[in-house]
Amino acid sequence: MAHLRVAVDVGGTFTDVFVVDERTNVMRVAKVPSTPDDPMRAIMSGVEEAGVDLRDVVLFSHGTTVATNALITRRFPPAAMVCTKGFRDILEIRDGTRDDLWDAYKDVAPPYIRRRDRLEIAERVDYEGNVLEGVDEAEARRLAGILRRKGVQTVAICFINSYANAANENRMREILAEELPGVSLSTSSEVLPEIFEHDRFSTTVANAVLSPLVGGYVNRLEAALRAGGYAGDLLLLHSGGGSMTPRLVQKYAVRLAASGIAAGAIAARHVALQCGYPNAIGLDMGGTSTDIVLVANGVLPITKHWQVEYGYPICFPSIEVATIGAGGGSLAWIDEAGALRNGPQSAGAAPGPACYGKGGQAPTNTDANVFLGRLGTELAGGAMKLDAEAAAQAIADQVAAPLDLSLQEAADSILKVANANMADAVRLVSIRRGHDPRDFALVAFGGAGALHGVDIARELSIPVVIVPPNPGITSALGCLLVDVRHDLSVMYQRDAADADAATVNAEYEALEAEARERLRHEGVPDEHVFLQRTMSMRYLGQWRSLTVDVVDSPNFLQDTVNGFHDGHEREFAFRRDDAPVEIYQLGLAAIGTTPKPSFTALPLSPDAAAPVPRSHRPVYFSGQDERTQTPVYARAELEPGATVHGPAVIEQLDSTTAVPPGARAVIDEWLNIRIYVKENGQ
Amino acid sequence: MTTTAPRPGELDSAQRSAMDPVTLEVLKNAFATAVDSMSEQILRTCYSFVIYSRDFSSALCDARGETVMQGSADIAVHVGTLHFQCRSILEDFEGDINPGDVFAVNDPYRGGTHFNDVSIIRPVFVDGELIAFAQNKGHWADVGGTVPGSFDVNARDHFGEGLRITPVRLWSQGRFLQDVAKLLAANTRAPEQVIGDLHAQAVATAVCEREILRLVGKYGKGTVTLAMDEVQNYVERLVRQRISALPDGTWETEDYIDFDPAHGEGLVPVKVRMTIDGSQVKYDLTGSAPAVASFLNSGYGAAFSGVAAGTKAFFPDVPLNSGFYRAMQADLGPKGTVVNAEWPTAVTGFCSGPYEKIMNSIFELWSHVMPERAIACSFNLEYLLVGGRDARVEGRPYFMWYDWMVGGWGGRSTKDGTGASAPVFGVGLAVQPLEGQERLSPVLTSTHEILVDSGGPGLFRGGCGVEKGGTLTAAEDAVMSYCCDRARSIAWGLEGGLPSSPHGVWLNKGQDSERFLGAVFSNVPVKPGDTFTRPSAGGGGYGDPLERDPLAVREDVADGYVSVKRARTDYGVVVECVDEELAEYVVLEQETTEERARIRAGRLGWLQEDPVAVAERYRDGSLDALDLIRQYGVIVDWGTGELLPTTTQQFRAMLAKRTSSAWN
Repeated sequence: MAHLRVAVDVGGTFTDVFVVDERTNVMRVAKVPSTPDDPMRAIMSGVEEAGVDLRDVVLFSHGTTVATNALITRRFPPAAMVCTKGFRDILEIRDGTRDDLWDAYKDVAPPYIRRRDRLEIAERVDYEGNVLEGVDEAEARRLAGILRRKGVQTVAICFINSYANAANENRMREILAEELPGVSLSTSSEVLPEIFEHDRFSTTVANAVLSPLVGGYVNRLEAALRAGGYAGDLLLLHSGGGSMTPRLVQKYAVRLAASGIAAGAIAARHVALQCGYPNAIGLDMGGTSTDIVLVANGVLPITKHWQVEYGYPICFPSIEVATIGAGGGSLAWIDEAGALRNGPQSAGAAPGPACYGKGGQAPTNTDANVFLGRLGTELAGGAMKLDAEAAAQAIADQVAAPLDLSLQEAADSILKVANANMADAVRLVSIRRGHDPRDFALVAFGGAGALHGVDIARELSIPVVIVPPNPGITSALGCLLVDVRHDLSVMYQRDAADADAATVNAEYEALEAEARERLRHEGVPDEHVFLQRTMSMRYLGQWRSLTVDVVDSPNFLQDTVNGFHDGHEREFAFRRDDAPVEIYQLGLAAIGTTPKPSFTALPLSPDAAAPVPRSHRPVYFSGQDERTQTPVYARAELEPGATVHGPAVIEQLDSTTAVPPGARAVIDEWLNIRIYVKENGQ
Repeated sequence: MTTTAPRPGELDSAQRSAMDPVTLEVLKNAFATAVDSMSEQILRTCYSFVIYSRDFSSALCDARGETVMQGSADIAVHVGTLHFQCRSILEDFEGDINPGDVFAVNDPYRGGTHFNDVSIIRPVFVDGELIAFAQNKGHWADVGGTVPGSFDVNARDHFGEGLRITPVRLWSQGRFLQDVAKLLAANTRAPEQVIGDLHAQAVATAVCEREILRLVGKYGKGTVTLAMDEVQNYVERLVRQRISALPDGTWETEDYIDFDPAHGEGLVPVKVRMTIDGSQVKYDLTGSAPAVASFLNSGYGAAFSGVAAGTKAFFPDVPLNSGFYRAMQADLGPKGTVVNAEWPTAVTGFCSGPYEKIMNSIFELWSHVMPERAIACSFNLEYLLVGGRDARVEGRPYFMWYDWMVGGWGGRSTKDGTGASAPVFGVGLAVQPLEGQERLSPVLTSTHEILVDSGGPGLFRGGCGVEKGGTLTAAEDAVMSYCCDRARSIAWGLEGGLPSSPHGVWLNKGQDSERFLGAVFSNVPVKPGDTFTRPSAGGGGYGDPLERDPLAVREDVADGYVSVKRARTDYGVVVECVDEELAEYVVLEQETTEERARIRAGRLGWLQEDPVAVAERYRDGSLDALDLIRQYGVIVDWGTGELLPTTTQQFRAMLAKRTSSAWN
């Protein structure tokens, strides 16, 4: 009887495997180096390392950066685009804006498909969907001949107004399918049937360039898992926080574009909810960057504008994660006017922070942590030694001396600036929306999250920090927790007062039929299908719309409009009950629930209250006069119910947790460390 | 051994701030977050599609009205004006500014830009003491005047342009002054939108206020207000330090507006002289022409903005605030000029007129000082407006097809110019999707594509412009207006680079009824079936095009950025097509060497040829516009082919300075 749930998260450096045994609810993890040339090798060796027999696996889910990396490195197969005559440059013109407003030497990256590979055909559909000019078959076959000669493996078909009528795009695809067997074909009306040509074309082009690679990858992986004896569906985590099966990946490869990022966000939400916090901020702090996600009322925020490179949006719903260039390796430096700055430059993996002893001479946050004793001089159970002397030297030369500070003040200042920057980033994504941080928990993970978590929480008046059991591989946990999910939408632009409930209902029913069909195709039984209607609305005359859930009631239109007023007030701090509201788009979230592992709460052991430290070392915590002799605990030895009062340091293989004076850390029934950050330990 | 930070002892006391560096850095970043929160909010709640396209800015000002921090994604054109607007409130309401008040101002004669740009300003109080102002400035879609959108090219004074909002109170101690708001709204074509934007902007300033009050709660009033000073001092120190490291000297240049309707043909100069003196950079715009008889004039606020935004491009990483403005000194010259226009001179078109001329001039001047950031001239901001009644819809409502385009930026000292980019006026100004436009207006877009050969030839080519046009469908009583420039004052090259291509609208191009309407016109009647199109210019080239790598020219040809014909004429590179379908071309080396030698030998002479004869050859079709501009330096009316002798003379003099002098 199959009894294992396996989740694999493939990151840039490591491939993490998370296994839950359904019979015992015991978890185990494995971490192996990633194999970027063929990520599958690391997956298979990770599975082996975790001691998993694929025949015992009931559910295999996977978050992958294969698509993200392909977009970053632009390793694409030969690709081409077929556009309406006069519009092949929509992709290159974009919306014309540039990322850096002031630096005239910084350019937006070129499009994924070169101008010479963007062909045109005379055809036109108007805004209402009337075909003004059809696709000429002979011309279409002539273009197919050119594409064949160019040896393209994938084609994006992008016509103006195809969201209103897909007939011309479909005809073009039919002809290309006949002429070019084996070539991937993406039409913009299928990939993203929404108004606004650049958003739709950009998403479609990303889909086209990813299709052969990603489609091939998931097929090979699925075959390998089958060969190993896995009988279920391979579930792939997509950007929207749900999963999909390889069958749909063939059509919607671009949905995997932010797969890896979504995993961490899902895990953060899970950990927070497990601890009873529906409002939480996930802080995934790595070496060079930090991902921040805001969970409000248990819901992960969704954005429809995600991009790897500025100017080329991927407009599928994606979990909104803010990434900032600050992490353990961020450099501390003094600018010409004497201000102490932190990042965004990073020491990276090579040379790395000064304390790595690999030639880095600029001080980083990691160096400050090592110098102050917060971070030990041995990492990963002694596999890596850190040089506190080198850290001190870098801080002395480059921060303490120029600013006339003691070494301790200098190191403390570095961390203060870093933490304040991080807090600002969190503020920008959250508090401006009117959320009160005192109602939030901070879920700190990634390699460096647990070192900084309490200080950042204090900066933001967040009362509690949660450090999950394996902060370094939390993302893999996220992969284990997702449902199959599809987001569908249809344009529907009308004053809400003029909208006809029956018509709107019919639009939703059409979406629901399509969604059920997709989920059936993926093997989700009907009784596991959950559908949520959504509506994007705005005050008539506004430009942005706000998406709210449709209320299931006889008078659903009016009730949903009321929900919009409330949502607008919550998001933007004002409402205009007397202003007309316009419906912009109808949406449907179609969810096929998958069984989740049930995590069993461990008994809180009453005699665990006074754990024994492994060692002591002098550590400096901000606000103190000097270093305090501080107990260092091994996390594995802390049992549920154990309480550790700050100052303390808790070490484990993949992370170090700092518990400053006044804070109180408790090991909970899920083996999370919960740190109550107030000075009195509340 | 290398180091990335200053060595011990390098910072002297003058460089130190009165505040500890950690608190200063923390508060500096917190101010930036507070201001950016305001921008995020307005972007999500605005009504004006112009604001939505990012024509807005946000600032935190101190109790004296000085700017402490401006938004990191703000439009260039508002830079350097927000403190003027804030000060105007202080001047007019001194002693009568209360908690819960909110003010509005758009007055271009009080340091504003044009009437469409309305600032909403909220004073921030702590314990009854005024400590700051939160300001959001956004472009309202309409503020009255004689034409929809409030852009009347032919306006001679403010009365034809629109609603002038001198400093006025909109909320009094928390109470919304409905009567005042209604008065403003009633003087526009979109009163509902105005009320919506006014609320959205006011709430956005409250977001900033909330953040400032939070910081006061945490750090104390004294620390926060001291930090507001210190952040300005920090920026001033930073900029002065960098300027000190540059050589002293004086540089001058001029750029041109196409013509002054009151004076017939002839380019209208905008002059800029820059002096670096120790830690200060000074600008002097004396010598610029008197105000023109169209709306292409600039008040002092907008001209100062051109100076500040132009300079900022050479300090891209420095935060924007009044400290930046203190490190530079701008003398706009006598009043009544095109760069220092007074009430009631029409100024709404400053953005297509003097503004970008000032910016491009400053780019050129700094190119001498920082060759590593050099850049030739970029295309001109342009707005096309087709307005009338939409017969597709019951009730024939008004429609406005209000469109602006991307274009090419100048070639640079190490690489080609950026193609298809938002204007220097505002790099964040997004163009509108045509699928949205087609729903809203009876105009079917015929093309939106990159324009071959539009980039100015050079060692590093100017970026390409684009072409966009359409056909009127069910439109009634429709008229077309255009706000641009540079049909004659073509975007120039630098260091031997050639100019790009002219702006201007064509009606029914290629048909019997073809007309070239020029780059600035108003209220031209148009009817269903009429087609219109206009190019945006490319950027000027940088460096001698005869020195461009022939393989780079070949790649440009393969992608259709440059034609086979102009590869030969402009670059002397002879390219042959091997397989058009596969975009395969080869450079014929021998022919290229010969062609380059021929051009080198002839080109100075071509610039001396009799303009009358050259214009004749344009009219008979043996030369085209790009030949005239790039080979002969001759400017004609592109529609009729009529020679513009004074303009040509001025254009040739300009080419001699910027282009041919660098040829060897």
